Amino acid sequence: MPVLELKNIIKNYPDGQNVNEVLKEINFHVNQGEFAAIVGPSGAGKSTLLTIMGALLSPTSGSVLLNNQDIGQLSKKQQTDIRLNKIGFIFQNSDLIPYLKISDQLKFIQKISNKNPIDSDKILKELGLGHRLNSYPNALSGGEKQRVAIARAFINQPDLILADEPTASLDSKRGHEVVKIIQETVHQQNKAAVMVTHDERVLDLVDSIWQIEDGRLKRVKA
Amino acid sequence: MFLTLKELRHEKIKFSALSLIIFLIVFLVLFITGLANGLANDSGSAIKETPAQTFILQKGSQSRLNRSNLTNSDWDKFKSSNAAKLSVTQATIQKAANKDKKTDIAYFITDKNSFLAPKNQSGEKIYASSKLQASGYKVGDKFKDSNTNKTFTIAGFTDKESYSHSPVIYLTFKQAQGITMSNSFNAIALKKNLTKKSGYQVITKQNLIDNIPGYSAEQSSLYLMIGFLYVISLFVLAVFFYIINLQKMKDFGTLKALGTKTSYLVKHVLSEMGILSGVAIILASLVTYFIQLKMPASMPFSLSFSTLLATGILFLVIALLSALLSLIKVIKVDPINAIGGNN
Repeated sequence: MPVLELKNIIKNYPDGQNVNEVLKEINFHVNQGEFAAIVGPSGAGKSTLLTIMGALLSPTSGSVLLNNQDIGQLSKKQQTDIRLNKIGFIFQNSDLIPYLKISDQLKFIQKISNKNPIDSDKILKELGLGHRLNSYPNALSGGEKQRVAIARAFINQPDLILADEPTASLDSKRGHEVVKIIQETVHQQNKAAVMVTHDERVLDLVDSIWQIEDGRLKRVKA
Repeated sequence: MFLTLKELRHEKIKFSALSLIIFLIVFLVLFITGLANGLANDSGSAIKETPAQTFILQKGSQSRLNRSNLTNSDWDKFKSSNAAKLSVTQATIQKAANKDKKTDIAYFITDKNSFLAPKNQSGEKIYASSKLQASGYKVGDKFKDSNTNKTFTIAGFTDKESYSHSPVIYLTFKQAQGITMSNSFNAIALKKNLTKKSGYQVITKQNLIDNIPGYSAEQSSLYLMIGFLYVISLFVLAVFFYIINLQKMKDFGTLKALGTKTSYLVKHVLSEMGILSGVAIILASLVTYFIQLKMPASMPFSLSFSTLLATGILFLVIALLSALLSLIKVIKVDPINAIGGNN
């Protein structure tokens, strides 16, 4: 059974007098334990698609089913709650909060959530960040920051992980390492994950590949 | 609070600077308020501290004691235990032994045992306000009225009453013979409220104080300054705080994308501003308090605890109002900005 399923998603933006159709009839699904990648040139609608999956944006029409619950047309408040408890985000530039120490980055998420907290420091140690627990983000390398971001995405035990170009600010070796960590964690914890990327060197690590072009999505590797 | 405390801890310099600005403004406001209150007391406390509520003046005296002249036939219309005749005369006294050192004072002339008079007035012994001590007078000292050469002995001091920045000397009409015209006086003070009496000007105590020469001019200019300081601080703090928060808009977007409620961020911004101004206000109050203790007697300064508290609360409100502009911005941040990496 798919964790996330998109059915006939259309997203239009008004563009002056015209209507700009960014996403056209998109169908997509990702299962538990599956790591899916969406590739495509810039401007193809990758980011828009990811924001719809992440309950940050409502589609013009179609349904977004997260564990069979349609999250497409929720109120802002309900969307916030879904993002906190059901989805883990990994952003392009890791986007850590500059005034929180590494261990606090994770503890903050646990603080605002009602879920029972797990040992966040242990997770950071497993990701090789044990010596960085009391550092601020500006002291970390790009790869280390992205590993913290991965830990942050998983800390609240979400059903779905969404990664937005996680390798964009890393060299190919570091980028590969980071995606490998995501892949291993997804498989270990049996989560569903979607990664938007244009970095083809990491595609050997994913389970399925989808390609988006001119707002249309098709599956290229099962 | 989690975010607030962590951020205050991390950005010590930035937030200390903001707190310092608030401290300086609050200190200035408190200082000027103390000065305004001090001057107000120095100008009219001899009237303000009496139990009188209403003053009867001669018709057409424009609320000024020295322009009013009443006689005993007027007194007969108001005579009661809750009424008192009052004459105020500003004069100069000198020590009997030292002719060169003169002091300006105000005579408060009332009937013996009236509610305006200090107790135990008799013979040549008089009571003066303790403000006269600053000019070197002690209990038992003799002084003479410079105009009439009448001599009195100080029997004791009352509180710090003052009239038009001069110490007050209390006399009975009998003692004052020769200093003022007999059978006439300036006003009748009533303990009760009265709004009208035909043939007379009836004014409240505050109205009388407002018309003490110099009182309104001093007070209005000082309160104008205080008012401007509040307005200025509202804008200065709003701009500073807005800029500080503007730098963090990207973080606010990320926090929202991660599932932080907008209400949590609003509380975060408000508690940040609240803590900063709270600390600044407490420090400014303490510094003002200690300065008050060290202030020379010649500099009128008075700041009651209730004024201190009211100023502090008013300033906290101003500070939180100044956060409003930033709050609108925080509420409007769209978490969608966190995706796409183009920020």
